[in-house]
Amino acid sequence: METIDLKFVDEAVERIGKGSEKVLELLQAIQGHYGYLPKEALERVCELTQITPASIAGVSTFYDQFRHSPAGKHIIHVCTGTACHVKGSDLVYDAFLRFLKIPKGEDTDSDKLFTVEKIACLGCCTLAPAVQIGPVTYGHLTSEAVPNVISDYLKYEESRASQKGRGGGIESHPTKKDFAGEIRLGLGSCCVARGSGKLREALDQVLKETGLNLAIKRVGCVGMCFQTPLLEVVMPDNKSYLYARVEPEDAKAIITKHFKVGLARKLVDSTSVLLDRVLTDKQREPVTRYEINVRENEVADFLDRQVHIATEYGGVLDPVDIDEYIEKDGFAAMQKCLSEPEPRNIISQIEQSGLRGRGGAGFPTHLKWTAVRNAKTDSIKYIVCNGDEGDPGAFMDRMLMESYPYRIIEGMVIAAYSVGANEGYLYIRAEYPLALKRIKNAIENCKKRGYLGDNILQSGFSLNLNIMPGAGAFVCGEETALMASIEGRRGMPRYRPPYPATSGLWGKPTLINNVETYCVVPWIIRNGAESFAKHGTGRSKGTKVFALAGKIANGGLIEVPMGISVRTIIEDIGGGIGGGLKLKAVQIGGPSGGCVPEHLSHTSVDYETLKDVGAMMGSGGMVALDETDCMVDIARYFLVFTQDQSCGKCTFCRIGTKRMLEILERLCSGQGKKTDIQDLENLAKIIQNSSMCALGKTAPNPVLSTIKYFREEYEAHIEKRCPAGKCKAMITYSVTDDCIGCTLCAQHCPVEAIAMAPYQKHEIDTEKCIRCGGCKNVCPDNAVKVQ
Amino acid sequence: MPVLTIDNRKVEIEEGKTILEAAEKIGIEIPTMCFLKGFRPSTSCMICVVKVEGKAGFIPSCATIVEEGMVVQTCSQEIDLARKAALELLLSDHLGDCMGPCHVTCPANMNIPLMIRQISQGKLEDAIVTVKKDIALPAVLGRICPAPCEKACRRDSLDGGVSICLLKRYVADIDLDSKKSYLPKCKEKKNKSVAIIGAGPAGLAAAYYLAQEGYDSTIFDEHEKPGGMLQYGVPENELPRDILDKEIAQVEKLGVKFKLKTRIGTNIMLENLREDFDAVFVATGKLKDEADSMGLQTKANAIVIDFQTYQTNVPGVFSGGDAVRKRKVAVRAVADGKEACAAISQYLSGEEVTGKAKEFNTRIGKLDAEEVEKFTAGHSRESRVEPANKENGFSNDEAVKEAARCLHCDCRKPVNCKLRKYSDQYNAKPNQYKGENRSFVQLAEHSELIFEPGKCIDCGLCIEITAKAGEKTGLAFTGRGFKVRVAIPFERSILDAIKQTNTAKECVKACPTGALSFKISDSDK
Repeated sequence: METIDLKFVDEAVERIGKGSEKVLELLQAIQGHYGYLPKEALERVCELTQITPASIAGVSTFYDQFRHSPAGKHIIHVCTGTACHVKGSDLVYDAFLRFLKIPKGEDTDSDKLFTVEKIACLGCCTLAPAVQIGPVTYGHLTSEAVPNVISDYLKYEESRASQKGRGGGIESHPTKKDFAGEIRLGLGSCCVARGSGKLREALDQVLKETGLNLAIKRVGCVGMCFQTPLLEVVMPDNKSYLYARVEPEDAKAIITKHFKVGLARKLVDSTSVLLDRVLTDKQREPVTRYEINVRENEVADFLDRQVHIATEYGGVLDPVDIDEYIEKDGFAAMQKCLSEPEPRNIISQIEQSGLRGRGGAGFPTHLKWTAVRNAKTDSIKYIVCNGDEGDPGAFMDRMLMESYPYRIIEGMVIAAYSVGANEGYLYIRAEYPLALKRIKNAIENCKKRGYLGDNILQSGFSLNLNIMPGAGAFVCGEETALMASIEGRRGMPRYRPPYPATSGLWGKPTLINNVETYCVVPWIIRNGAESFAKHGTGRSKGTKVFALAGKIANGGLIEVPMGISVRTIIEDIGGGIGGGLKLKAVQIGGPSGGCVPEHLSHTSVDYETLKDVGAMMGSGGMVALDETDCMVDIARYFLVFTQDQSCGKCTFCRIGTKRMLEILERLCSGQGKKTDIQDLENLAKIIQNSSMCALGKTAPNPVLSTIKYFREEYEAHIEKRCPAGKCKAMITYSVTDDCIGCTLCAQHCPVEAIAMAPYQKHEIDTEKCIRCGGCKNVCPDNAVKVQ
Repeated sequence: MPVLTIDNRKVEIEEGKTILEAAEKIGIEIPTMCFLKGFRPSTSCMICVVKVEGKAGFIPSCATIVEEGMVVQTCSQEIDLARKAALELLLSDHLGDCMGPCHVTCPANMNIPLMIRQISQGKLEDAIVTVKKDIALPAVLGRICPAPCEKACRRDSLDGGVSICLLKRYVADIDLDSKKSYLPKCKEKKNKSVAIIGAGPAGLAAAYYLAQEGYDSTIFDEHEKPGGMLQYGVPENELPRDILDKEIAQVEKLGVKFKLKTRIGTNIMLENLREDFDAVFVATGKLKDEADSMGLQTKANAIVIDFQTYQTNVPGVFSGGDAVRKRKVAVRAVADGKEACAAISQYLSGEEVTGKAKEFNTRIGKLDAEEVEKFTAGHSRESRVEPANKENGFSNDEAVKEAARCLHCDCRKPVNCKLRKYSDQYNAKPNQYKGENRSFVQLAEHSELIFEPGKCIDCGLCIEITAKAGEKTGLAFTGRGFKVRVAIPFERSILDAIKQTNTAKECVKACPTGALSFKISDSDK
């Protein structure tokens, strides 16, 4: 056994602190440094600090981020979020294990180069299925793409090693002024994953070569994930041209089309070459890499139905540039509020706006603020921003934090002033590194300008904000669990009341709101409560941001007025299902929500109506499902998730959800019993009625809503049939007479279940077949049938 | 101070108190397993749920702070069902035997492991009490019992089950031979009498236990000597008659009267007995023909009874033993006598006749090879002891050596386990929910304590107690979801986790199950 150099631990303790609440931060530092938590390092922490072995044992086994054994050099995080699940992430995961020859029950290859881990959700749902290796995200994967991903990543690593210390990168700030024009590029983490980082590098190169003085401006999320990388050219006369799905090699052609350079002739030639290639290149997806007019139908539909409040100036605003934020009315609302001598007036404006918590439950925001304002404290009140977006299939908060960090901070300052809080935390998932980075950067910039810290803008009001990176636990989205986590404990919820408003962080009155809630506050103050309240329905006012993903043509981040119908979102904004398939249901609200079946797609999207149909607003994940999705499998998927994420405290959630999951697993493996549906319903009722916290109380929802609308699918599973052809144990792959004998399937079969038979009809050995779907994906004649 | 209503009764209690505390104040007991005074409520077990008017679902009373005007209901059918569900879910993830497999298998339900430990400790006077609590004729059965318990013994497949039958014989023989043989204390006379027809094992056993309950009984038998099949059926080389006679004499010493050479149906009619006695127990042995049934309902040469209450179709007439069964086993007959006594007592005292209540039990079931290894760790590896002199049974040394082979499968907290108590109370079924369960682990390094995580229900009290006591290592919850476990940090030993004697005591006392228990339990002391 290697001895471990513990010097890092000593330094980390010195830097981070010795208090018992520092445990998470210290563990994160140790994990970051060693790649896992060496026992010696943990013992050392106990020697040096007030942290106990019990605390370390408890905390380090609660959060997904921590490993207790060394990992490979690179960790492959396979996203198992809802959108990824329905698009086959299980197959991708299996393919990685197979390709790396990782034995069953282990997670690291024999060279200790790669460790493969499942991760709850990367929040890149429009890239589904997605994996993250180090800083790189790969999207739209299939089992066949796995070897390429590995080799691409190794190449990337090599080049990164050789360019060490080069600096800059996607977060660097333009310094030159008086540009001849501007090129706007979305550099959110999903855009980067779809190639905008490489595009940025290509653009830099083109500018260097041509000597053009253009500003390359990073902008926040436009929401049109289906069109990324999205590049917008803004001419000096403010006329703009939008290009979708741009590849790095297209950079030169696009720039030279709009800006004249000495080498014009030659470059024009290359433009036509590009167009030729675009039109003929068959290896790519149906080509949409063209200049798009915002008035063009697809894009117009996507944008027209939306109302941008939380996402105001989307695609225009540089997320990092505080000056630009200020230019675009940033901090105006905050200044207005800070000069308001009676903070109650701010709260009454929030009340008039009808704003309700955007984290899921929809509790009226003003009531929460009033409760905290009225709460007595002997010392301090806290404000917390809940950015622990754990719902698989949701990425609204990530996009808001990456794109509008100043707006969130502004909203928090207003809220803090209204309730009298002077200390605050932003609890942000560690899976969102760019969000963490941008918020951190924004806090620093705000402090420098006097928008945060002591005596903000000489108002006499002070607010200090800290960042607390989460460590991978869905239940920490529950407010009492989140606070336990900030206090350095296992993220276990406690019974409410007392509510955080009276007894929150360290027992002090605490205001805790979701990212999106804070994000709309400045707009409400600037534009007036009525402007906000005019959107939406009777009890659900304003807009809601949704992450639209799954089986949808145009997935992305959207902000729509409440009361819009599910159908409008799916068909008009999302462009329908595509691929000739029909919509089956829309999963709304993630593990706490439910499915809205196609025949109810006229359902109005507001808190009450969604609840009535058995779904839930949740934080805003919306995953479209088509005919090929098995609803029993979807229910099983969510139960796997909630059971794994349950804090394990109360009997009903810890054991009850497990027993439900076991029934669902039985059904999906063709071993269902006649009584299973009844047993599921009984257990669900008990768990809903008696669990301690919202995670447990809502855990049965995905099961109940699928039983309600798709009972016949459950019944089919009892008869050992999976009508959607999804559940592996109940399906067989076979080759039809359409087979032309091209041998592609045989070449791609990872388990040699198909013998090579050139020019003959191939056959699949059902015994050997692992139902990975590889043959079906590669067959050029659609001759592989699933039954 | 807030005033609230609990089960239609008003109670006033200081602000900040919980519903559980308010209920306690007026003597309403709400069950709880994870709450301990002096610690913050953990809302883990959830059997303390109640209904509060205006609030949806069930509310954990241990954590709910009282409010002015609150209307609380602590008891109703739906509340009971919620509590039962919580208990059943906990039981589905609770790996432990309340009673050892031998104890459960014994037709007479004798507490065999306790007897064995008493032998180990040389407490033979206690051992005979344990034995005779359930078996009226142990010296007899020690010779002729087919001993199904030994087949059920966890050592059976390993190196032979513990020689339980001979150990019982050893205890009984020593007692019979001693000058002051054990005679149980009898309750005050209740001035009611029972006629017992048949002086075989069932009849004798019934008389033995009825006497202890304070009932007079008279045994009628057609033969010259009492004993039934034991006297006239079993070969003498298997059961020496002096042993039988001595053991019957012990029954007689309790005041039981014998009317021998009296045949019911010939000399006296059942009707007469029903008039002269308050109840009748028919234990005539195997029926030869329908005529033997004395007018009782029969089917296939057996008297029809309710097997839970031993009642026949005639009020006040009970029946048991070979008269009611196809398979004839003496130990079953002895058990019938005892169980019928329980039903007859209920009948005579005017209670509802429900028969002997079954003790609540959970079972580990079959262990895999790895678990058997853990189960037997720290126990004697000697194989089964055969007595040097078969006729005499075990010598003292042999008995002690054989007794040491017992694996102590039974729980160390059979009486003060709250999970068992409430499961029994709420009629929870251990097998209602089936699925993945904990595996068997036993941490026995500690001199006094034993930790069996399989029995743990994750209440977390031991974690709180060790933390409060300032134990340096202590205990912690690890993992998430179904896999949450109470574990010792850094894979240290239980010796590190609980160093102070006081902490050990507190933990064992607080632990609602047998997960944390003293090696030598109170009931063994």
